[in-house]
Amino acid sequence: MQKTLTELNRKEKAEIISLNGGRTMQHRLEKMGIRKHQIISRINSQFMRGPVVISMNGHQTAIGRGMASRILVRPLNSGIPK
Amino acid sequence: MHYLLMGNPNCGKSALFSRLTGSHVVVSNYSGTTVEFASGKMNLEGKTEKLMDIPGTFSLQPSNKAEEAAVELLEEGGAIINVLDATNLERSLYLTLQLLQIGKPMIVVLNMWDEVMKNDIEIDHQALEALLGVPVVTTCALTGDGLITLKNRLPEARTGGLSADNNSNLWQAVESITKKIQTKGEAPETFWQKLDHTTIHPISGPVIALVVLFFSFAIVAWIGDWLHEEIFDEAFDLLWLPVAEYLSITMGSSGWLHDILIGELIDGQINFEESFGLLTTGLFIPIAVVLPFVFCFYLVLSLLEDIGYLPRLGVVIDGFLQRLGLHGLSIVPMMLGVGCNVPGVMAGRVLETKKQRFIVATLIAIVVPCMAQQAMVIGLLGKAGVTGLAIVYGTLFILWIMLGVIMNLFIKGKAPEMLIDLPSYRIPYWQSSVKKIYMRMNSFIKHALPYVLLGVFIVNIFYTMGIIDLISSFFAPVITTLFGLPGEAGAALIVGFLRKDVAIGMLVPLGMELQQLIVASIVLMVYFPCVATFVVLFKELGWLDLLKLTLIMLVVVLLTGAGLNFLLNLTGI
Ligand SMILES: Nc1nc2c(ncn2[C@@H]2O[C@H](COP(=O)(O)OP(=O)(O)O)[C@@H](O)[C@H]2O)c(=O)[nH]1
Repeated sequence: MQKTLTELNRKEKAEIISLNGGRTMQHRLEKMGIRKHQIISRINSQFMRGPVVISMNGHQTAIGRGMASRILVRPLNSGIPK
Repeated sequence: MHYLLMGNPNCGKSALFSRLTGSHVVVSNYSGTTVEFASGKMNLEGKTEKLMDIPGTFSLQPSNKAEEAAVELLEEGGAIINVLDATNLERSLYLTLQLLQIGKPMIVVLNMWDEVMKNDIEIDHQALEALLGVPVVTTCALTGDGLITLKNRLPEARTGGLSADNNSNLWQAVESITKKIQTKGEAPETFWQKLDHTTIHPISGPVIALVVLFFSFAIVAWIGDWLHEEIFDEAFDLLWLPVAEYLSITMGSSGWLHDILIGELIDGQINFEESFGLLTTGLFIPIAVVLPFVFCFYLVLSLLEDIGYLPRLGVVIDGFLQRLGLHGLSIVPMMLGVGCNVPGVMAGRVLETKKQRFIVATLIAIVVPCMAQQAMVIGLLGKAGVTGLAIVYGTLFILWIMLGVIMNLFIKGKAPEMLIDLPSYRIPYWQSSVKKIYMRMNSFIKHALPYVLLGVFIVNIFYTMGIIDLISSFFAPVITTLFGLPGEAGAALIVGFLRKDVAIGMLVPLGMELQQLIVASIVLMVYFPCVATFVVLFKELGWLDLLKLTLIMLVVVLLTGAGLNFLLNLTGI
């Protein structure tokens, strides 16, 4: 099952499947390490179409809502680490 | 040979910079064409070498002007000290491999080594050294561990041996290296991480942000005022007044030289606030009134910055700033602008597009009053209670929103979204915080003092030549009819172009009512930024955009001044 990053639940873990944006967007994301096959988890998001905060490798990144809605992810089961 | 400190934002470069350059020889350098960077000297085996702290960047393909500057500085030569946040090895190595490809002598520093050990991460730095073909050392900039090794090994900097192929494979190369040298356990959530989640929570986040902003302002206003009244004011009376009085008497208490140096005697006495001589008010305003506030402001700002709160504030306020055509990160230039508009406008370079940079520069120039103005206004209005101040700040806040929303609607161009890294909360390394505050204060004194003195000088010349009266009658229709101010306030508008604090100081002897003081303060805060800001605006925006900004500003100042005067008349404050 695939979702966009914006649809992911709080604390849910997922693998990034694709970045469906233009070249500039992909580039901006990639150089910060946000790329295919990375495992991320969603921390939370803000009201008023504010950014989505994710955690990756123990570090947090805030991603604008529009960009986040173009990042496809596949939730990893249950989301609770062993 | 000189050395360049390069790395991702927040990898600890500044802290290392402070450590390496020691406490004695630091040259701060605000170059006009590149982003603010620090350059200093370090002692290496008895020789002095130049060390430059380059703005943080994630890759060598820049996506904003600050990163462009980093890449430009790189082209000038020298050896690279590539600093890595070892707790975020993978992402840091991305830049490292790119740097290796350009074939300069290089040394790799795994900073934050203390955190690596604490967080159950294992990194085989010797293996990394073998893989990259350049020296790799581990440091903790906070305690200074590993600094001696770093210094000893700096001369070993050499071009690397890794044969990374091309960019598309760069991440694969990074991954394979990381896999070979790093093992990471699942770290339990720490107190700081829990705090972190609270500060960016959709509900508690904004609440905390408001509390933090309120206390920051309150601390600056209260402590600044206390320092001004109890320390600097007293010190001036105790130490400087006798000297000034002696000079005044020596010059026979009158004459043109006396008027310029000492100014007018008020009831036969020197009055630091009203005499308006170079050696009285000219020194008193920048040193005794403005400096205490500037100091408190930079203290608070550096604390918020170094702990790591600013980007979180950006996250919380992002949704709101989008309505102004900006995004969360623009909180940084605007906060800097509260200290001084000049670095604020320059920091606008962290934004991606021309539209965003124009909006942020215009907002800073028009509705963000620098600390020097605020110090004077707090002194001027604060005496009559908080009402005046509340009206002034409330008006600025409303203007900020209205102006931003309108510009966002009418200015063409893209407004990309925010994408920022949230560095973990960290305890600041006090020595580099102190150094940063010192550098900022130093640059304030160097830039402000000459202009203040020039401003006071010009005021005196104008008065003696009767130009003030001329200006006053020329502006009288606007000033008196629209704004309800005495004609003499017109002179302050002219001087305000040079220095706003001096201009506000000129209002003191006019004996205006509270309502007039409020209108005059707002008008002075909103209209033309001081000449130093104007120069940076020109450099950053070009003359066409500067012209646009100026027109917007004139409209805003006329509407606000007249509107406020009208409203206050209605309500009768
Ligand atoms: N624990 C730890 N914190 C560090 C270390 N080096 C720097 N810091 C902290 O990390 C934060 C960012 O450092 P700074 O020098 O401002 O990073 P820059 O943006 O790369 O210049 C500051 O709060 C520093 O006090 C280190 O080796 N260990």
